[in-house]
Amino acid sequence: MPTLDDERLEAYLKQFRPLAPEPLSTVGTSHRARRTFVLGAWATAAVAILVIGALTLPIRTDRARVTETIGNVGNPEHLMEDQPLTMRSANALVAKAPSFKAMVDDMAFRSQHIPLPKGKRSAVAVLGKEKIKL
Amino acid sequence: MHRTDGDTTEIEFLYRQHGPALLLFAQGVTGERSRAQDAVHQVFLKLIEKGSLNRVADKKAYLFACVRNAALNEGKLRDRNAPLEPDSAWFIPPDRDYAGERNLRCALGALPNDQREAMVLHIWGELTFSQISDLLGVSSNTVASRYRYALAKLRDSMFAKENSCANS
Repeated sequence: MPTLDDERLEAYLKQFRPLAPEPLSTVGTSHRARRTFVLGAWATAAVAILVIGALTLPIRTDRARVTETIGNVGNPEHLMEDQPLTMRSANALVAKAPSFKAMVDDMAFRSQHIPLPKGKRSAVAVLGKEKIKL
Repeated sequence: MHRTDGDTTEIEFLYRQHGPALLLFAQGVTGERSRAQDAVHQVFLKLIEKGSLNRVADKKAYLFACVRNAALNEGKLRDRNAPLEPDSAWFIPPDRDYAGERNLRCALGALPNDQREAMVLHIWGELTFSQISDLLGVSSNTVASRYRYALAKLRDSMFAKENSCANS
C-alpha cells in the first residue's frame, strides 16, 4: 500500500469509527420511569377520588334525610299523623293555622290517636261535641 | 442544582454524540475497555445526578477533560501502566477491514500516552489543538508537535511496516 500524505492519512483514519459505549441504564430508563411515575400519580388520584366519593355519599344521604325531616316539622299535616306534639311543631302550627282556635282544635282533636277500649268514649271527644256557652 | 427534563435530554444527546470518541479516548488512557466504560459512565451519571452543563462554554472539551480525570483517577487505584488490551476491537472498520482495524489498534497502542491522547482527541474527538491544549494543560505548539509525531509513527506502523502487528 502506498504511503499516504497527512491529509489522506487523516481521512483514512477517520473512516474507522470508534465503538459506541454501552447504554447508560439511567439514560434509557429515565423517560420510562418518569412516565410510570406520572401514570401512577394519576391512578392514585383517581382511586383517592373514588374512595372520597364512596365515603361522602352516605353522609350526604343522611344529611338529606335530616333536612327532609326538619322540613317536615313545619308541615302540620305530617305532624298530626305520626309525630308527637313538641314546642317546635306547636310553633309551626301557630304559624300555619288560620286562627288560634283552629290551631288548638288541630292539636286537640287530630293529633291524638289513642285507642280506647270498646264501649268507652274519650272525655275530650264528648266535651268537644257539646256546645258550651262561655 | 435541580436538573430538568431539558438537561437530561441534552446529556443523553451528548452521550450519543460523543460517547464513542470518549470511550476510545478513555481506552487509550486506561488500556482496558471495561475500565474505560466505567470512566465514561461515571462522568455521565454524575452529570445526570448533579445537573446541567449550562454553565460550561465548551461542552465537548469539558466532557473529554472529565473522562480523562475519571480514567486517571481510576487508574491511580490500579496499575497505571497497564498494557492496552490486544484483542478487543476499538473501531468499526470501513468495508469490514478487520485487519486494518487491528493494525490501527496496534499502532495506537504502540504510541506514547501523550501522543496517543493528542491523536485520539484530534482525529476522533474532533477537538482543535487549542481545545486540546486547554484540556491537557500544555501549549498548542506542544499538542501540534505530539500530533505530528503520532501521525508519522502511525503511518510507519500501518503502512511501511504493514502487518507487523498482525505478525507479532
